[in-house]
Amino acid sequence: MSRQGRSLAVTRATAAALAILGMILLAAPVRADEDAAAAPAPAPPITRADLKGISTPSADDLAKGDPGGTLTGSAGDIVMADPKAGLTIADIANQVGQNRIAVNFVWTLVAGFLVMFMQAGFALVETGLCRAKNANHTMMMNFMVYGFGLFAYWVMGFAIQQGGSAGITNLGGVNPLNNEFKLSLFGKDWGLFGTKGFFLSGDTYDVGVMVLFLFQMVFMDTATTIVTGAAAERWKFAAFAISTFFLGAITYPLFGNWAWGGGWLSQLGANFKLGHGYCDFAGSGVVHSVGGLTALAVAMIIGPRIGKYNRDGSPNAIPGHDITMVLLGCFILAFGWFGFNPGSTLGASGNGSLRIGSIAVNTMLAGCTGSFGAILYMWMRFGKPDASMSGNGLLAGLVAITAPSGFVNTVGSVIIGFSAGVLVCLSVEFLERVMKVDDPVGATSVHGTCGLWGVLCVGLFADGTSNYGGSWNGVDGSVTGLFYGDPGQFVAQLIGVCTLVGVIFTLSYVFNAIVEFFVGQRVSAEAELEGLDLPEMGALGYPEFQLVTPGLGRSVDMGG
Amino acid sequence: MKGMGLALVVGGWVVAVAGLLVSDATAARLGAGLAGLATSFAGIYSLNAAHLENAIWKARGH
Repeated sequence: MSRQGRSLAVTRATAAALAILGMILLAAPVRADEDAAAAPAPAPPITRADLKGISTPSADDLAKGDPGGTLTGSAGDIVMADPKAGLTIADIANQVGQNRIAVNFVWTLVAGFLVMFMQAGFALVETGLCRAKNANHTMMMNFMVYGFGLFAYWVMGFAIQQGGSAGITNLGGVNPLNNEFKLSLFGKDWGLFGTKGFFLSGDTYDVGVMVLFLFQMVFMDTATTIVTGAAAERWKFAAFAISTFFLGAITYPLFGNWAWGGGWLSQLGANFKLGHGYCDFAGSGVVHSVGGLTALAVAMIIGPRIGKYNRDGSPNAIPGHDITMVLLGCFILAFGWFGFNPGSTLGASGNGSLRIGSIAVNTMLAGCTGSFGAILYMWMRFGKPDASMSGNGLLAGLVAITAPSGFVNTVGSVIIGFSAGVLVCLSVEFLERVMKVDDPVGATSVHGTCGLWGVLCVGLFADGTSNYGGSWNGVDGSVTGLFYGDPGQFVAQLIGVCTLVGVIFTLSYVFNAIVEFFVGQRVSAEAELEGLDLPEMGALGYPEFQLVTPGLGRSVDMGG
Repeated sequence: MKGMGLALVVGGWVVAVAGLLVSDATAARLGAGLAGLATSFAGIYSLNAAHLENAIWKARGH
């Protein structure tokens, strides 16, 4: 057979296969009730003769290679349950179903890998914004937070968060995660935590559960790494390890359950008629606010760095040692965010998951306008386009769009990003000058303040066009914000913000106060002045350089 | 002082959730939520103020 003839045969085979698939879809009973009256005569059922009519490339054809990519992948590649019986309709239907789940698995895993790489971005940003004498210590906190957090999440965090979240159809159902602990109060069920999936053992040894675990785990790790920035340059490494374990095992998973695991916040719509309940598409609240508020709690307990404030309370600037690291880290984070937000569909096929294109563009726009907002604010306020705040503005925009990214349009994302860029500058100034909380990298402002803003933005800007399988949090229809006609959604988001501030902050504060009592959160003044690299880690980050910190050296008298 | 601050932080959340239970009106729930959030923020402020009483930069000789 000539190559042209072969192409024709393949084209016919492909057309026949597509026709069969089309008939399968048309024959499906979905929406049958509404369409029955208006629809034309139903398509004839597929017969064995139809299947036998499909020609596939021969072994000889395939042996000649397929440089044009027109032969590889045909009906001959469909897995048959019984090769002797030949290709059946059931084979085709099963293959289509598995392909959908396979696409979603790969999409979710790759997105998770991108989010994991954000750890590198955080490490660079935080280390660059700290002084060189603490480079090893800051980098090591960012490095080990991955391991400590992962272990805690595997032991119990995942089970608490997702143990009752069966029914995620994009990942095949994850049906083993089927037990949520609930309290019945005031005539309503209040889901508090899951109880399946400890150590990923038992029947949660399941391919779909593994994909969900990987994706959720890297999100949790993002939250834990936020705290290391706020407590940098004075946090005792042992205290950091204990604090991180608790955050990964208890605090983060609890709120994650309430928002994403079928818990009480997600049911505010079903139980109290508040829109679709608390909606947080990719985690402005679950990830960033939890991390940011924990960062605030730790920073308050641990206190400001030596030299940050004068005796009259006025602040001193303590510049970081490497702005190139900071901006490179911001770029890596912005890259990883394309896994964070679009990946949160948990799929690319079915249930409206093709909205990933819109989500990616929203993410891109909000990050850019966030840096615009910050750079404009700093330029107008201080006369210079500050580099580190431009980076923080980018991150602020990304943090704020994380919750609304799946529900808003591009105009909304531009407004959300720009406002977050300005907000992060105001928040940094407020915390530094009014609250006198020393946060070396601005983690509380970037992730806490802008995370809370992002949660509220869902309730303002959600435009009612998203359709993830026809419902969200068990409420039919699309998530719609105040500006598009649903004030109840804004109230649901507000309740979520109140829970983050009132419960999650408190939980983090109390636990870290306990660590402070028994272990101590802060290194000695001598270690802090020397830099934490040698006292805490035993090695300098930059051993071949002599480090001098003007004005903050050993002349500081810590007596009294 | 720290205990009072923490009580305010948690109390704010209680106010917000109580608003859900006592009224079906969206405006009332919105008001309760805003009041609760303001209460929690006030709690964080006073908690921080308690920490600042012994701040390292207030130490003699600093």
